[in-house]
Amino acid sequence: MTHPPVPFDPEIEAALAEIVSPDAPPFTPETIPGMRAAMAAMFPPAAEQVGDAPVLVTEWKVPGPEGAPDLEITVLAPRDVEGPVPCLYNIHGGGMMVGHRNMDVGRLLALVVELGVVAVNVEYRLAPEHPHPAPVEDCYAGLVWTVEHAAELGIDPARVVVMGGSAGGGLSAGVALLARDRGGPALAGQLLLCPMIDDTNTTVASHQYSNLGTWTRETNLAGWQSLLGDDYGTDAVSPYAAPTRATDLSGLPPAFIEVGSAETFRDEDTQYALRIWETGGQAELHVWSGAFHGFDMYVPEWHVSKIAIETRTSWLRRVLGLAAG
Amino acid sequence: MSADRYPPVPYDPELEAGLAAFLDMVERIPLRADTILANRAHFDTIVPPVGQIVGDRPVEVEERTVPGPPGAPDVELTIIRPRGGVVDAPALYGIHGGGMVLGNRYFGIDGLIADVLRFNAVAVSVEYRLAPEHPAPAAVEDCYAGLVWLSEHAEELGVDRDRIVVTGASAGGGLSAGVSLLARDRGGPALAGQMLMCPMLDDRNESVSSRQYDGRGAWDRNNNDTAWNAILGPLRGTDEASPYQVPARMADLSGLPPAYVDVGAAEIFRDEATEYATRIWATGGQAELHVWSGGYHAFAGFSPDAVVSRAAEAVRLSWLRRTLRVP
Repeated sequence: MTHPPVPFDPEIEAALAEIVSPDAPPFTPETIPGMRAAMAAMFPPAAEQVGDAPVLVTEWKVPGPEGAPDLEITVLAPRDVEGPVPCLYNIHGGGMMVGHRNMDVGRLLALVVELGVVAVNVEYRLAPEHPHPAPVEDCYAGLVWTVEHAAELGIDPARVVVMGGSAGGGLSAGVALLARDRGGPALAGQLLLCPMIDDTNTTVASHQYSNLGTWTRETNLAGWQSLLGDDYGTDAVSPYAAPTRATDLSGLPPAFIEVGSAETFRDEDTQYALRIWETGGQAELHVWSGAFHGFDMYVPEWHVSKIAIETRTSWLRRVLGLAAG
Repeated sequence: MSADRYPPVPYDPELEAGLAAFLDMVERIPLRADTILANRAHFDTIVPPVGQIVGDRPVEVEERTVPGPPGAPDVELTIIRPRGGVVDAPALYGIHGGGMVLGNRYFGIDGLIADVLRFNAVAVSVEYRLAPEHPAPAAVEDCYAGLVWLSEHAEELGVDRDRIVVTGASAGGGLSAGVSLLARDRGGPALAGQMLMCPMLDDRNESVSSRQYDGRGAWDRNNNDTAWNAILGPLRGTDEASPYQVPARMADLSGLPPAYVDVGAAEIFRDEATEYATRIWATGGQAELHVWSGGYHAFAGFSPDAVVSRAAEAVRLSWLRRTLRVP
């Protein structure tokens, strides 16, 4: 059965041609190290990106999960704001295989300045060298540390939102499930941006974007195979790795789910919202017309990127009890 | 007890007051088969005369009577234009709500007037026959006849016929989806978009959200049952129900104009609206979907000052600007 894709908005199609090189190599254990290095080189350290903005940057090494290495964490705190303030606990994307927390500094800096919140940005171990549960356990350990050190960081522990894009959205959903099931930190919300949450690759959207767009079906398969190793394609896949596998989505913090209508994750993300609502849980869902995966990062000047960011900020104000902007 | 099996998504606390006001004003009389006429009379008392709605805003209001569907009575249209008229302007074809059993074309016209001034656009609001006196497909055929007239008289009205969006809330959202299907299947006007706000799309009334809002909230499951029984009569729940008045029953959702679908997370139509968007995407069609946290049915109109309502309005205007190609 063929699935014609939902078209990309004509205004961003030209940009897509520049983002996606037809000669880009596939993700393999051989190519991944080079991709990581190239991405790291694109994003300088947080202090450099923050520059003159009224934000204090501190770098931390904090305990990882039991028996695992320490975690690197960057904290961005607004200067001249009296604590305690809400916290955004951020998890970067990169298909579970690549990426670095410095990729998200721009997004976080804007939120710290606009909302007067603290951002905590965690580095986690990547697959395939570190398959599940290393990434999600690292992220969870960093969250627990953050909440335990709330006073030191100037954070209100009752107002912590986990957030992330793509793999970071999937890991945020996984961390929210872990926090629920282990009686861990009580989260004020989970902000899931085009989250990668379904390892089965069976939705219509996952077929529509085969060899098409910024995050293709093929790349997604590589990500899940890297993360899951021998569990890939079996019923043994953990819901903390692939949150759509969770049979019970009740009792979760309010969710914000955002995705493009023209991307691989559209249907799994929509389904996740539906399943939360079914339980009586709170979720807000935004599916933006003609948007490809990661649109707000790739084409920030596009008017849809701007309204999408405004909409996120509105939701953050609502769940964090911040005055309307 | 359904409340135990289907715990509802809670309301945004900031919306509770608006919901209470909605229920007190609009749903004072529970809507049942034997209260439809009483509700209709009550509804007419809460919609002020059009002159009062317009106030001193600089628009021209024109009433027109145009041909209805073949063999059916004429259709009344209210046309709103910026004072002094326009040339090659975008148009909003508005279809009012009220479960297809209540309401008139002045219900919701306040928002159309605001959009006319905001976008220098023309708005046309259509009167259509209501159930149960006029079962399906009377309503959607009336709405379609008015749309065809608008398209054929575009130049006279100062309208760019390539920039017509059909729009409506609740029953008006369902009928907007229905006229989009008719326009596709009859080779009618090429619409620039369909704006479906908390749309009433599915007579089956069996989704999880329809059960979560059974005896609870604005336009609850019982109201919805009453309306669909009136609209479809003995055809309700059968494959004979017209897919043009029950768009969720249309098997093929390909080839439609770009859709905007918005709905509250805490209302009856949440699941059918989400499902409709999902089915459009599956065909490769374009749709934008917004499901607002804790929103009751038609929350943005009745609680306009809430943070969530202001965000919803900003997003609605963003889609209209993109779709109508206006600044």
